[in-house]
Amino acid sequence: MYLKVKLPWNVIIPAENLDQKGLILQRSIIIRLLDDFACRKATKDLGYYLAVSSLECIGEGKVRQYSGDVLFPVVFNGVTFKLFRGEILEGVVHKVLKHGVFLRCGPVENVYLSHLKMPDYKYVPGENPVFMNDKLSKIGKDVSARFIVIGTKRLEADREFQVLVSLEGDFLGPIS
Amino acid sequence: MSGEEEENAAELKIGDEFLKAKCLMNCEVSFILEHKYEQLRHMSEDPLNQVSQVFEKSLQYVKRFSRYKNPDAVRQVREILSRYQLTEFELCVLGNLCPETVEEAIAMVPSMKTKGRGLDEEAIEKMLNDLSLIKTFE
Repeated sequence: MYLKVKLPWNVIIPAENLDQKGLILQRSIIIRLLDDFACRKATKDLGYYLAVSSLECIGEGKVRQYSGDVLFPVVFNGVTFKLFRGEILEGVVHKVLKHGVFLRCGPVENVYLSHLKMPDYKYVPGENPVFMNDKLSKIGKDVSARFIVIGTKRLEADREFQVLVSLEGDFLGPIS
Repeated sequence: MSGEEEENAAELKIGDEFLKAKCLMNCEVSFILEHKYEQLRHMSEDPLNQVSQVFEKSLQYVKRFSRYKNPDAVRQVREILSRYQLTEFELCVLGNLCPETVEEAIAMVPSMKTKGRGLDEEAIEKMLNDLSLIKTFE
């Protein structure tokens, strides 16, 4: 789910970015914020950080004692993406393995659908392996599918989320 | 796997802050990201270098999974769905998945059927009918 969030943030401007009068342009703060934001990638609470929409306010700058950098507390509006357990969404298959497939959903690459969670689908090996059921419905590369999220895990090291999904439920499965 | 507080979107157990949060449908995000991308295009020669992977993948995703392409249609969808007592989360799931029958709608958003919600099948049917009219004129 895409979320519209209002976030407090501390933007730190290095001392050398201050102009002669020791002033910071609002622009420098915004650019700094955008850079910080882009590096963040994802947090456990709000999911993936997507974009900054607008700046709500910029607080008074405080000079940091030892570095001479200036810290500006800001509040901004942004968009994030978070997957919730129990949520139903659609995604695209990008990798097919013997035991399941990986889907792409929003910015998340590691959405895993195990063969155990694909009722009645069986692995069909070959140059373009697919999972297929009796009705010849296929789940293979580039197929879009609707699934339910059964679990999410944050991987600290990669700053990414690993997501487990299932097709067990009504109206779930490949979509044309 | 995170089972803290037994998160379950199907029962709207997503945490207080998310129940009150503003959610965005894929088609709405598509406009926001495309607009941002255009802004970057005017500011630099290589806009793709300026956006994060998260942005790029999201843009690809929402373009592919937007059911409504016209900005007026998107506004109407939100307007129609807002008339029913839905949380932002439920509203966006419906706007994204566009269920065609009442049965499908309830399967996508089971929380609608919770007791005391006041969303009976008749109301859901009317909602889906209103939505289908937008699709016709898109």
